[in-house]
Amino acid sequence: MKGRGQNKGKEQKVQERKKLLIRIKRHKMLYLFILPCIVWLLIFCYAPMGGVVLAFKNYRYDRGIFGSEWAGLKHFRAFWISPEFWSVFRNTVVISGLKTVFCFPAPIILALLLNEVRAPRFKRWVQTLSYLPNFVSWAVVVQLMTAIFTPYGGVFNEIRKSMGLDPIFLMGEPGAFYPLVILSDIWKGVGWGSIVYLAAISSVDQELYEAATIDGANRWQCTWHVTLPGISATIGLLFIMSFGGILNAGYDQILLLQQPPNYQISKILDTYIIHTGINYGKFEYASAIGLFKSVFSMILVVLTNHLVKKYAEIGLW
Amino acid sequence: MRETRGQKVFKVFNYTFLSLLGLATFYPFWYVLIASFNEGRDFQKGGVWLIPRVFTLENYSRALQDDAIFRSLGISVSATLLSMLISLIFTALAAYALYVKTLPGRTFFTFFWYFTTLFGGGMIPYYMVLRGLGLTKSFWLYIFPSIYSFYNFVLLRTNFETVPYELRESAQLDGAGEVTILARIYIPLSKPILATLTLFNAVGKWNDWFTGAYYQSRAALYPAATVLQRLLMEATASNRVQTEQEMVMRDMHTMRTYTPMSMQMAFVMILTMPVVVVYPFLQKYFVKGVMVGSVKG
Repeated sequence: MKGRGQNKGKEQKVQERKKLLIRIKRHKMLYLFILPCIVWLLIFCYAPMGGVVLAFKNYRYDRGIFGSEWAGLKHFRAFWISPEFWSVFRNTVVISGLKTVFCFPAPIILALLLNEVRAPRFKRWVQTLSYLPNFVSWAVVVQLMTAIFTPYGGVFNEIRKSMGLDPIFLMGEPGAFYPLVILSDIWKGVGWGSIVYLAAISSVDQELYEAATIDGANRWQCTWHVTLPGISATIGLLFIMSFGGILNAGYDQILLLQQPPNYQISKILDTYIIHTGINYGKFEYASAIGLFKSVFSMILVVLTNHLVKKYAEIGLW
Repeated sequence: MRETRGQKVFKVFNYTFLSLLGLATFYPFWYVLIASFNEGRDFQKGGVWLIPRVFTLENYSRALQDDAIFRSLGISVSATLLSMLISLIFTALAAYALYVKTLPGRTFFTFFWYFTTLFGGGMIPYYMVLRGLGLTKSFWLYIFPSIYSFYNFVLLRTNFETVPYELRESAQLDGAGEVTILARIYIPLSKPILATLTLFNAVGKWNDWFTGAYYQSRAALYPAATVLQRLLMEATASNRVQTEQEMVMRDMHTMRTYTPMSMQMAFVMILTMPVVVVYPFLQKYFVKGVMVGSVKG
């Protein structure tokens, strides 16, 4: 009795395995479809992940990454005790913090203002124009800024001259660095960012507005008590998600606006990694900083993903 | 409903503000456009704000005669077109395979891919891999590493899921192979989303200056955006306020009518024009792209 039961179990397993093999065989074409993708993932995503052991090694060209000697946490310690650590970490958090404070609400405000426009043509024009900068490279944006701020015929200095002030090159002034980063980021992203809020606004129930108007609410009260609560879920979601990227202060923008006079306040984790690693060849040291950043970011992303899920279920407001 | 005074004031403020915003977006482009059509030396005197004062096409001809610029434009065009095509084909293949629910290991492969969006080795190990493969000395640097993106894959697979599954089954009963099903049913039914992905990819590739600047070691293989960035870096170094004497000295040396700056303005316009041309096509798909993007995060 017992033996037969076991046999039956075994037979079942064998049969299941056979079925699986048949299923796999039947789908062999599809495996061929994803094969390049798996190879690609292994090369361009998983191999660099393995490459993080570099952060724990004393790299020697002749021995390669895996043949080099272990260095323990030497490179991490070197970064943590270096005076660079705090300024780099501080700059990163300050810049992305400033962006959260100024660049995050900007598209919300724009969407609310656009929503009040009753002339469809005008609205479409403003939208079309404001989306455009999203599609040009940061290299072009910074080039446009240079054209405007150059002391040689640039419009900014022409205005200064007409007011009797001496020409300056604003982009070389350390004091102007953060404002320029924030303003150019808003300029480039505000229109694009407003799309998602406009979509959220358009999905607010129209009957709520009618009910509010009947109750005597004016336009301002409608915005404050109907529109804003209506899109608060979207705002909250995007706000939480932005925390996952707190260590990403936007390196391509920063790299282009970075200049020797503002270096002390403009070097962020990513630019520091690029400079020490790629430009100066301190691979292990830069990998260690990169690993520190990756781990920190991953924890934040997992945490915020978790929060988003929870939040989407309960709906805080 | 009659408007109160406060509402009127707000309306005036709102329209003014939005007009100014539109202008602030438009003006920098316009300013560079007129600068690119104005004689460079004349532009430096200042006062060219609205239209070119001394009209010329010299900046454009000089920019296109510059070997580095001309070559880089060729590289950008070929990188953009080739990467568009290759990404499209391979993403469609992968998305289709992982769309088929009966595929053993489907969940595992998807997670295998998803995980790479959570954790990466960082820039330096990535750079070492590129270098190890010899890509840092090759044109293929702009093609291979950017074939796939998890985001595009999810977008496409989600779109495939809107196609009734029975369509695939009945085609299979009729004896169609996977390639035929994908090419005859799923691709034609996903044309809008494929167009969107491809256009967004193309714009991204065209604008990417970073890959060239930090991962490419051969200057002859720089794409246009990287060459622009290099010129920008040189220009900022010379853009500090110079003394009167220095300026006179510089002007005496160069008797030409264009300046490096005016040539760069023409280059900026050459780089921006293709984007402005595809822009209306992109705009059609904005909302869809952004919505899915924000859901994915």
